[in-house]
Amino acid sequence: MNEALQQIINRRDTWRGDLPGLAANGERHWHEDTLPTGYSTLDAQLQHGGWPLGSSIELLSDGCGLGSMGLFLPAMEKLSAEGRWQVFIAPPFTPYAPLLRARGIDTGQVLLVHPKNREDLLWATEQALRSSTCSAVFSWLGAGDYRYAELRKLQLAAASGDSLGVLFRASDAAANHAPAGLRLQMRAYRQVHILKQRGGNQHLDVSLPADEDIPDQPQLWELPAGPARSPQVQPAFSFA
Amino acid sequence: MKLWLCLRFERLPLESLDRAGTGLVVVLERQRVLCANDRAAELGIRPGMGVATVRALAAEEPCQLLERDREAEARTLQRLCCWAYGVTPTLFSYREDCLQLEVGGCLALFRGLDPLLREVASGLTGRGFEARMGLAPTPAAAWLLSHADSGAALDCGAALEERLAPLPLALLADFSDTVDALRRAGLHCFGDILALPPTALARRCGAAFRDFLQRALGRHEEPSADFQPPPTFSDEYWFGYEVRANEELYPALQMLLQSLCGFLRNTQLQTGEIHWQLVGMDHSLREVTVRSSSRHSDWQNWYQLTRVRFERLALASSVEGVALACRELVSGELENIDLFAPRKQREPLAGLLDRLRNRLGLQAVLAIGCRDEHLPELALYTGYDRPAGSPAGAVAGEAQRPFWLMPEPQPLGERNGQLRWQGRLDLVYGPERIEDNWWREPACRDYYIARGQAGQYYWVFRDRRARRWFIHGIFA
Repeated sequence: MNEALQQIINRRDTWRGDLPGLAANGERHWHEDTLPTGYSTLDAQLQHGGWPLGSSIELLSDGCGLGSMGLFLPAMEKLSAEGRWQVFIAPPFTPYAPLLRARGIDTGQVLLVHPKNREDLLWATEQALRSSTCSAVFSWLGAGDYRYAELRKLQLAAASGDSLGVLFRASDAAANHAPAGLRLQMRAYRQVHILKQRGGNQHLDVSLPADEDIPDQPQLWELPAGPARSPQVQPAFSFA
Repeated sequence: MKLWLCLRFERLPLESLDRAGTGLVVVLERQRVLCANDRAAELGIRPGMGVATVRALAAEEPCQLLERDREAEARTLQRLCCWAYGVTPTLFSYREDCLQLEVGGCLALFRGLDPLLREVASGLTGRGFEARMGLAPTPAAAWLLSHADSGAALDCGAALEERLAPLPLALLADFSDTVDALRRAGLHCFGDILALPPTALARRCGAAFRDFLQRALGRHEEPSADFQPPPTFSDEYWFGYEVRANEELYPALQMLLQSLCGFLRNTQLQTGEIHWQLVGMDHSLREVTVRSSSRHSDWQNWYQLTRVRFERLALASSVEGVALACRELVSGELENIDLFAPRKQREPLAGLLDRLRNRLGLQAVLAIGCRDEHLPELALYTGYDRPAGSPAGAVAGEAQRPFWLMPEPQPLGERNGQLRWQGRLDLVYGPERIEDNWWREPACRDYYIARGQAGQYYWVFRDRRARRWFIHGIFA
C-alpha cells in the first residue's frame, strides 16, 4: 500500500468506516468506558450508548441558556459517586450550588478555575484533563480561534485520562475541523445536533425527552406558554 | 559483626569552597598550600608550598587562591551526614574531613557489601565529591586503612593486624613525638610495632598511644558520638558552569528534591513548604517558595509544583548554583490514595489543586458550597476552601432553580410594558416569593421564569420595594 496512506491510517485519529471503534493498528479509538447520558433518545444515537470518557467532547452553542449544562447534569450526578474533582474552567457564571445539591451532586467536588488569559486557560484545561483526579472537566474555551494543534493537545490529554471532558465553544467553530471524538451543537432549547461522532451516526437532531429529567418536577418546557401574569399586576399569592 | 566504612574527603577544603572546578584553584592555610586541584597538581603544586612558589609555578595562568574556611567544611560535612543517613542510621563525622558509617547492620538491606559500596560511590560522585574509603571493624582502623591503596583498604577478608602492617606510622600526626622516637629506633610501619609486646610499647610510648592502638584493633570499645538528623533540611547544587536557560535547572532540581524526599522518608517527616534559592553568577540571590495544600514527602509531586513555578520564572542573570531549604518539618501521617478507589486515580486530590494554584494564583481557584439562607446569592458560597459544615444530602422537591447564578442581579430594561434582556422576555412561570434578611437589608422579591427570544430560560425577579426588575440566573 502507498506508504503515505499507511501513515495516515496508522494515526490514532483516523477513523475507518469498516472497523467501528477500532483503528488500523488495532487500538481502540477511545476507552471502552462510556457513561450513560441519562437521556434515552441521546443514548440511542451515541456510539456505545453514552458519553465517551477519555476523549474530548465539543459542545458548540452561542450563549449559555440553551440547556447545555442540563445535558450533563445526570452524568455529573453519577460521577459524583467517584469522589473526584469536577472542574469548571472559565465558567461564564457561578454554578448555583443549591441546585447541584438538589440534583445529588456533591458540591465539595466542584472547583471553579478562573484563568487570566488564553494561554492559562489552555494550560489549566490540559492539566485537568490529564490529571487522574478529575471525574469531569468542563472548559469554556469561548469564541476564540483555536489552532488544530492546540485542540489536538487537549484531545491527547483527555485520552490519557478517563474523565468526562467537555469543551464549550461558539457555534462558528462548527465550520472548522476539530480533533474531538464527539461534537455537538445546540441550536434550540434542549435540541442537540450531532455534528461529528467518531465511528457513529452524524448530522442528527436529538431532542431530550421531558419526562426523564426530574420526574417529580414541572419541566421548563412543560410550563404554560405565554406570560403567567402581566408584570404590572401584583400576584395575589405566592409560595415562598 | 560491626563493620565501619570510613569516607575520607581529602579535598574537602577545596570541594567546600570551589564551585566551578575549572582553572587553577589552590586552598591556602597560613600562606601555605593546603589543597590543590588537578590542574594545580599537574603544574607541580604540592601541599605545603608557599604562595610565592605557587605563583612562580602558575606563571602566566590565572590562579585562584582561596583561604581555608573551616565553617564551610563543617557545613559540607553536615550535609554529607544527612545524605549518608540514607545509607545507615549509625554514623558520625570523624576528625575534620571524614565520615564513619557503620555498615555491618545494613548489608542485608543492600544485598551485600559490593552493592552498598557502589551505592555510596555513585551517591558521592553525583554530589561532586571524591572520597577515599576504608573498611574495618573499628572506626580508627577504617580511617587508617583509608590511606592504603584501594584494594587493601576494602579487603576485609584478611586479619586486621595483617592489613594494618604495611601502613606507615607517619599517618599518626597526633602522636608526632612518639612517631619520631619510634622512627629513630628503626620502627617505620604498623607491622613493626604490632609485633612488640603491648606492655613494653606502653612503657616506651605512653598510655594515650597504647589506648589508640587498642581501640583501632578493637580490643577496647571506642566511644562515638551518634549523628542525629537536624530538624531542618538544606542542600545545594553547584553547576560548575553558567546556567542561562530554565530547562537546564531541572535535573538539579530533581536531584535536590530526591535528596529532600529521601531525607523526609528516613526521618518520617513531611513538609508543606519548600524554599528554592538561585545563586547568580553575580552572587545575587533569588528566593522562590513553593507551597502545597497538604503536607507530604512525594518528590514527584514537589517536582511538578516546582516546574510550574520555574517554567514562568525569568532568570535575571545566569545561575551558578541552586539551594533547597525546608524549615518547617512535621512528623505527619501518610496520606495515600485509596487503593480501592474506583477507576484509576493515581495521585491525591490535592495534587491538581496545588498545580493550578501555583501557576494561576490562590484567587483563581475556588470551591463552592451551599449555605442555609433564603436569598439565592447568600445560599451560594464561593471561597478558597470547602465550606465547613455545609448542609449535606440532597434536598429533593425544591422549586425550579437555575444552573448559573449571576454574581450580581442585573437590572432589566423595559419597553412598552415588555421586559427586555438581549431581546424580548416573556414570563412563563411564577411568581415565587423570597423574603429575607429583614434585620439588615430587607429583601422581598417575586421570582419568575422568563423565556427569551431564542428559547433560553432566565430566572428574573421583581424587587417589590424598589419596584424594578432584575435578572439573576440562567437555566442551562
